[in-house]
Amino acid sequence: MQILRSSSALKRFALLLTLLAPAILAACAPGGDQSTFDSAGPIAKDQENIFIFIFWLAVVVFVVVEAALIYSIFRFRQTRPDAEMPTQTHGNFKLEIAWTIAPVFVLVAIAVPTVTLIFDHEKGPVDGRVPENPLEINAVAHQWWFEFEYPGQDVITANELHIPIDRAVRVSLDSDDVIHSFWVPKLAGKVDMIPGDDNVMFIQADRVGTFIGQCAEFCGEAHANMRFRVVSHEPDDYEDWLDSMRRAPAPIVDNPLAEAGRTLFAQNCSTCHSTRTYEPLRAQGEREVQLGRQTLFRKAVKRDEEGIKTREGDLVTLISAPNLTHLAARQTFAAGIIELTEENLKKWIRDPDDIKQGNRMKDLAPIYNDPALWLSDEEVDQLAAYLMTLKPGPEEAVETAGTVEVDPIAQGREVFLNNGCSACHSTGADRVVGPGLSGLADKSSTDMIRESITDPGAVVTDGFPDGVMPGNFGSVISDNDLNALIQYLETLK
Amino acid sequence: MAEEAVISKFPNPFPRPKTNRGWISWVMTVDHKRIGTMYGITAFVFFLVGGIEALIMRLQLARADSDLVSPEVFNQLFTMHGTTMIFLVVMPIGAAFFNWMIPLMIGARDVAFPRLNAFSYWLFLSGGLFINLSFAFNAAPNAGWFGYANLTEVPYSLGDNTTFWLIGLQLLGVASLAAAFNFIITIINLRAPGMSFMKMPVFIWMSLIVQILLVLAFPVITVALIELQFDRLYGTNFFNPVAGGEPVFWQHMFWLFGHPEVYILILPAMGIVSEVLPTFSRKPLYGYPFVVMAGASIAFMGFFVWSHHMFTVGLGPAANAAFALSTMAIAIPTGVKIFNWIGTVWGGQVRLQTPMLFSLAFVALFIVGGLSGIAHASPPTDAQQQDTYFIVAHFHYVLFGGSMFGLFAGVYYWWPKFTGKRLGETLGKWHFWLMFIGMNITFFPMHWVGLDGMPRRIFTYPADSGWETINSWSTIGAFIIALSILLFIVNYFRTWRREPTYEADPWDGRTLEWSIPSPVPVYNFKEIPTVEYLDDWWAQKYPESVNAEPRERSPGQPAPAGAEDMLPLNGQDVSSYGASSYGDDEDHGIHLPDKSYYPLIAAVGFAFFGGSLMSAWWLTLIAGFIMMFGIMGWIFEPVNDPPPEEENPGGHPEGYSAEAGH
Repeated sequence: MQILRSSSALKRFALLLTLLAPAILAACAPGGDQSTFDSAGPIAKDQENIFIFIFWLAVVVFVVVEAALIYSIFRFRQTRPDAEMPTQTHGNFKLEIAWTIAPVFVLVAIAVPTVTLIFDHEKGPVDGRVPENPLEINAVAHQWWFEFEYPGQDVITANELHIPIDRAVRVSLDSDDVIHSFWVPKLAGKVDMIPGDDNVMFIQADRVGTFIGQCAEFCGEAHANMRFRVVSHEPDDYEDWLDSMRRAPAPIVDNPLAEAGRTLFAQNCSTCHSTRTYEPLRAQGEREVQLGRQTLFRKAVKRDEEGIKTREGDLVTLISAPNLTHLAARQTFAAGIIELTEENLKKWIRDPDDIKQGNRMKDLAPIYNDPALWLSDEEVDQLAAYLMTLKPGPEEAVETAGTVEVDPIAQGREVFLNNGCSACHSTGADRVVGPGLSGLADKSSTDMIRESITDPGAVVTDGFPDGVMPGNFGSVISDNDLNALIQYLETLK
Repeated sequence: MAEEAVISKFPNPFPRPKTNRGWISWVMTVDHKRIGTMYGITAFVFFLVGGIEALIMRLQLARADSDLVSPEVFNQLFTMHGTTMIFLVVMPIGAAFFNWMIPLMIGARDVAFPRLNAFSYWLFLSGGLFINLSFAFNAAPNAGWFGYANLTEVPYSLGDNTTFWLIGLQLLGVASLAAAFNFIITIINLRAPGMSFMKMPVFIWMSLIVQILLVLAFPVITVALIELQFDRLYGTNFFNPVAGGEPVFWQHMFWLFGHPEVYILILPAMGIVSEVLPTFSRKPLYGYPFVVMAGASIAFMGFFVWSHHMFTVGLGPAANAAFALSTMAIAIPTGVKIFNWIGTVWGGQVRLQTPMLFSLAFVALFIVGGLSGIAHASPPTDAQQQDTYFIVAHFHYVLFGGSMFGLFAGVYYWWPKFTGKRLGETLGKWHFWLMFIGMNITFFPMHWVGLDGMPRRIFTYPADSGWETINSWSTIGAFIIALSILLFIVNYFRTWRREPTYEADPWDGRTLEWSIPSPVPVYNFKEIPTVEYLDDWWAQKYPESVNAEPRERSPGQPAPAGAEDMLPLNGQDVSSYGASSYGDDEDHGIHLPDKSYYPLIAAVGFAFFGGSLMSAWWLTLIAGFIMMFGIMGWIFEPVNDPPPEEENPGGHPEGYSAEAGH
């Protein structure tokens, strides 16, 4: 009481606090990788600055009001039980008006920069100017991973976005399923990714680095493990990276483990995971494939609700899955939650739920649900070895691709493996998801086979559900490959 | 007469309960005090449930990469924690105070519709049990208390989890609406003679405003819930983007309800604090008309700020700017309240007893919550803070530091009125300080970790995120809060065993409830008081404070300090709470509404009807029959059974017996 009543001590203490406060704040400002401080781009910087401005205003208000409260508690504390009745004041009109109006000034001080920034950030990342040549990115969210498309560049990645520094990046945000949110704290505040709505946001990095992003809108079971990375490069390095993404991986030579893994991947994984979006047609078709799967997923679940059970195996063709093109060139996998190493890949393939609970692969992929298909340790090693070969090959590989004369039947078999056909169709007579393909040439004409590939809904074999086979093979497989595929299919006995 | 013929024809399988003892008298009661007690006890049990849910979450988050619970369980926990604390704790504790205090503070003998009041309670209980029943089916709601579409649509939310939530909330909504209409009509119509609107206690004002908010806000969420229910159960496409529906539309409707809901949660606490601060400062509330008008304008403006929950949705710069400005404007009336509370304490004789400590802490903590609210009223900063722990910190300062502290202030303040004895002061202070310290250790660091980029609703975070230390502190703080609640429970039981002191006016109170005995007799006021002043009881005790001549006291009211009048009327057996206010109290000659079991039947039938929508159609038929039986019985039942002629003690007082005419 005595100390608090002594106003000079109070004043000195308050002065000390005021002087020390910026130092305290600087020392205490959150400094983690996802911190909203120490921003790495103009938008985040603006947002950080206005927060700091509001913070100090709030501190002033906080100190004044709490001090008034604490002072009045101690100053007017009843000391004797028989204390005199205090003056029965009912209020003061002028004072009321004063403290109704005073906050208005504080609020206007906040409102002016707020409104300015709202409209500025709508136009572009720097000073409210419309950027001249922004980099366009389409970001699409899935449960539970991010897909990044570089429109017109034939490049698609998953969970890792590469951008040049000091250039505005205009990100178009969409979602294939539920609402997610795109948030890289160091670069910009979040904007939601809403199915069917076209949200757009700007980001821009002003230094080279890797920045962590995370989904900020609750989106289901694995929401906590839905992360991604933004990697910023010097402009030249960025162009190099972009070029590398369009090169095929080096052919697998003298690596029997990876070679065996490639076949396993083709049979078990390629239905959902693309690995070849460095090919222009495939890159253009990838979005369509993902959307098609999502539509089919919804329909399949709807059928379940109506009491018509979708066959277990059918769902596998319906889930969206991250693009694995040049996977080995990425820093992390499984939506940015684990470092990409061969060991971690093996761990993931063995039991994805151990790393990321809720992931759809464990739920739906036959290799986890059909005992006949369970992978042995050796097979896991083979798959991981193959995945580690998925990185851009040397530059000359671009020229050789397509120029080598190949046997059309061997080419057709490659097409069959690479497009995930083998995941649903056996080359024998048995049914997997779709019908077995042996003796196809005896049953169908070349044109009918072509139609069944490009427009699977036209004729559906009796006993098989419609709408399971993706409808866009016609657009993702080149004519040359399609002809080879048909020739290969006609050889099946 | 024709009416009587109808009454006698309606099947009435069980005799109307008459007893005032035993569990049956509680189940069938229509007395506002008993219903208030049941609201309070039920809500406190749910408070413990929601608190345990929070503690499990805090344990899970205490360490990085923790695997104490699975993500699915964690999602259920935070969904149920939010749903429970909002709909099953803060709102019903508010309802407990409305029930108990509105009639006592306005000088009435009960609420306007006692049976509707009972119905509200039973439907609230049914809805709360129904939502929690989902745990038994391993299908607890798991999509957040906000239930954002289209995550809550069928393809992404299989199972019955979300359906439990949808139907449970609709039941609770009906309960809240019924109670709200009841209280509005009570406050407007049953005020004691002379109590004009501007002589009503602030708590009554805030109660009235909250009821109006409920009536305006709940229909919005009800429409949204029904639409989502139709999407899920009957295949409509209101929020299905593939079929032209709009998931963002859900967010608009949810927050058009959700933001007024925030004021539904905080205004009762503001009302309590506005009663406690003057009492314990021995001064009138500073700027009474401004506090009242500030409350009303907060409520009004609360309907124009909902999109500040949606600044990251991409509504466009014009919408974001408009909602930013309207949100900032709400700070003005809020500031007026805080300044007036400080003005109330200023120059008073401050007695730091437990209710006062909770009230002062309410003001102190609410300032923090208000100021962090200003930070994310600005969309550019909100873009970084939305859906992070910064927001979690903010609204816990408002809803825990604010609402819960205010409600606890009310519990300690009115406990003598409820039971005839004060809660232990020493344990009460321990409770307060532990809760205050624990609250700040739990929630203050969350500001920091939110600014460090930690999103909400994540069941785990990586070790290299740098969030672990802060989260461990929050967990420690949560357990300190738990300890403080434990002390409250100990205090409750120790007080339970103590002899009542029957102090009618232990705090030297200001409002009418302190003019009647503690515990309150079943009829509240032997004679309905006549009100001349704001804080009329204070004016009676201290006529000099209003420059008035001492008034002649109404015969039914005890003198303020006279010990002989502190005993309950009629000199009954006063050994326990039940006996003192409900015992052999039949000779008071004041006619009160008879007990009824129809509200219970109607409410249970209603809940059963809602739940049956998730299963077979014939169950719906049975449930519908039970519900209709309850409602029809209620309609045809007279408020009071006609008393036997010979026992009629000198005719009926006006009011409750009108329908029972012979």
